[in-house]
Amino acid sequence: MTTALTRPPLVRSSDRIIAGVCAGLAAHLGWPVKGVRIGMVLASLAGGAGLAFYAWLWIMVPTADESARRNARRPASPIAPAVPRAMPGATTTGDAAAVRPPWFRVGGVRYGKEILLGAGLLLVAGILIAQLLGVNVPLGTLIPAAAVLGGASIAWMQLDETRRAGLLDKTKADQAGGWARLAAGLALVVAGVLVMVSGSGSWEQTWLALLASVAVLGGVVLVLLPWALKFWRDLETERAGRIRETERAEIAAHLHDSVLQTLALIQRRAANEHDVVRLARAQERELRNWLFQDPGKDAGQLSDRIKAVAAEVEDSLGNAVEVVSVGDTAMTESHEALVQASREAMLNASRHGGGAVSVYLEVSAGRTEVFIKDRGPGFDLQDVPEDRLGVRESIIGRMKRHGGTASITSTEDGTEVRLGLPAIPTDYAEGKS
Amino acid sequence: MTNIQGTGPQGTGPSRPAQPVRVVIVDDHGIFRSGLKADLDASIHVVGEAATVEQAIAVIAQERPEVVLLDVHLPGGLGGGGREVIAGSAALLATTKFLALSVSDAAEDVVAVIRAGARGYVTKTISGAEITDAVFRVAGGDAVFSPRLAGFVLDAFGTAPADIADDELDRLSARELEVMRLIARGYSYKEVAKELFISIKTVETHVSAVLRKLQLSSRHELTKWAAERRLL
Repeated sequence: MTTALTRPPLVRSSDRIIAGVCAGLAAHLGWPVKGVRIGMVLASLAGGAGLAFYAWLWIMVPTADESARRNARRPASPIAPAVPRAMPGATTTGDAAAVRPPWFRVGGVRYGKEILLGAGLLLVAGILIAQLLGVNVPLGTLIPAAAVLGGASIAWMQLDETRRAGLLDKTKADQAGGWARLAAGLALVVAGVLVMVSGSGSWEQTWLALLASVAVLGGVVLVLLPWALKFWRDLETERAGRIRETERAEIAAHLHDSVLQTLALIQRRAANEHDVVRLARAQERELRNWLFQDPGKDAGQLSDRIKAVAAEVEDSLGNAVEVVSVGDTAMTESHEALVQASREAMLNASRHGGGAVSVYLEVSAGRTEVFIKDRGPGFDLQDVPEDRLGVRESIIGRMKRHGGTASITSTEDGTEVRLGLPAIPTDYAEGKS
Repeated sequence: MTNIQGTGPQGTGPSRPAQPVRVVIVDDHGIFRSGLKADLDASIHVVGEAATVEQAIAVIAQERPEVVLLDVHLPGGLGGGGREVIAGSAALLATTKFLALSVSDAAEDVVAVIRAGARGYVTKTISGAEITDAVFRVAGGDAVFSPRLAGFVLDAFGTAPADIADDELDRLSARELEVMRLIARGYSYKEVAKELFISIKTVETHVSAVLRKLQLSSRHELTKWAAERRLL
């Protein structure tokens, strides 16, 4: 069947009755869910084949969440485009998982021990059930068996829940509910097994058996507890290691794409000092932005725009433009004018100042101000020819049209352009400082 | 800037002292240390170098330099970097001044070393002449503020002279705010003095006062701010 390539991945569905196996299977095969469920029940009647198949799928097939997480764990590394991320052509029509998981391997790799344990338990349970069913079908055996199965199901569904809890960080109330379910499942299984083993069902024998098994269980717990704790700790360590590994891979990918490329470029252009400085500055800016960016901060704020403009000026003219910003605000039309005026001032400062340019942005409750300072020889505004639009139109005129102010102070030590914008643009013309 | 007066023991201007300033450079990058040594003025004597927190504390205790040029990020110790070096040399703070030197502009890095006791902070990209000037200034007992650090201070203390704060350490005076704002705009101390019609000595006093507040203020917002900001 060539249509297999376009099938959604086999994952357990969240639209579940027991564990979402039937719904997942139906989605994967493109069959109606009801049909699959009825088929499963019918198969269960045929000597429990359906039950075994269901249990097997339950253990082996991940939920959509797990599948997505497992795939997400691979870093999107641009270093290794040669490493195929998924089977070719495994485009999905499903929405939950991005790629079709290699589900037949997944469990064996990640939950190997759990699956072995589960399979062993299943085998034992299957043999027990087969034996008991083979002889005759006494109610006294069937009920405890059902209790065992029910208890196991409850506990196992809990296992699913806790896996998801790790992802969603569920509340404590849910956790308590989970423990209650686990305890109920355990009680059911223990009671069922006891009744089944003691056979007769007489209270006296059951009590004795209970006592004995509790004693044995206690002993086993005593022996296994340190081992289990160690195992748990190893698991935690392994998980932490894996997280670190992922982070490292991500950093390596980024450095490869940015810093190494720039260093190679710098080596090739070593003769041109101007280019080297420009490349180094641009790379520094990029790396800084990557290292220190605040993911919680809104993008596209005024300070971001000013910094972007400064970077552009730095790239085109080669002189450093240092931006210091205090406060921030969302962009409006007048703020855009302020950014454009700042850009013009930075261009002038970089071009005529011939050195580093200092830019200071301050946003306070009532006012937004930008200061652009260079250390060039300075100029007199009166001497600027009328036809030069840079200063007159692009800076002063533009700010006035948007209800702001602009002033230029120039001495032999340098020039400073001061741009101001009131919080709510009005027509008032503020005195130039 | 020969007219900047310091309060050094010789009473000379910071850029032309009678005796060379003894300096220890602490940085884990050997290339950077040697580059810095070559860049520094001849009147600065580099008497020691260190690459880790432990080395730095040992070298500083042995050489007792006037100024330590201290990288914020250092290997060794308990992972505290430059902050840990200052803490480990606390007994010498009266005679040895620390000037933080960092490639990092991250607010929490800078504020952490300043609060630990550094007298100033400059970025590693500044020129040899500027760093020489900063060394003399710190040796003279003054504080060195880069525009970026001034920006941090304004961000942390607020740009309006607060009147609700009950502790004097928790706010900047109107004059201190003006000084900080001008430094953030890229003004040198001399230019600040000229702009505000005050003496350079007064500017230095204001900057030192701001530094003290930055170091001593228990202002809740300051620490919270420093922890929260990962922005430039």
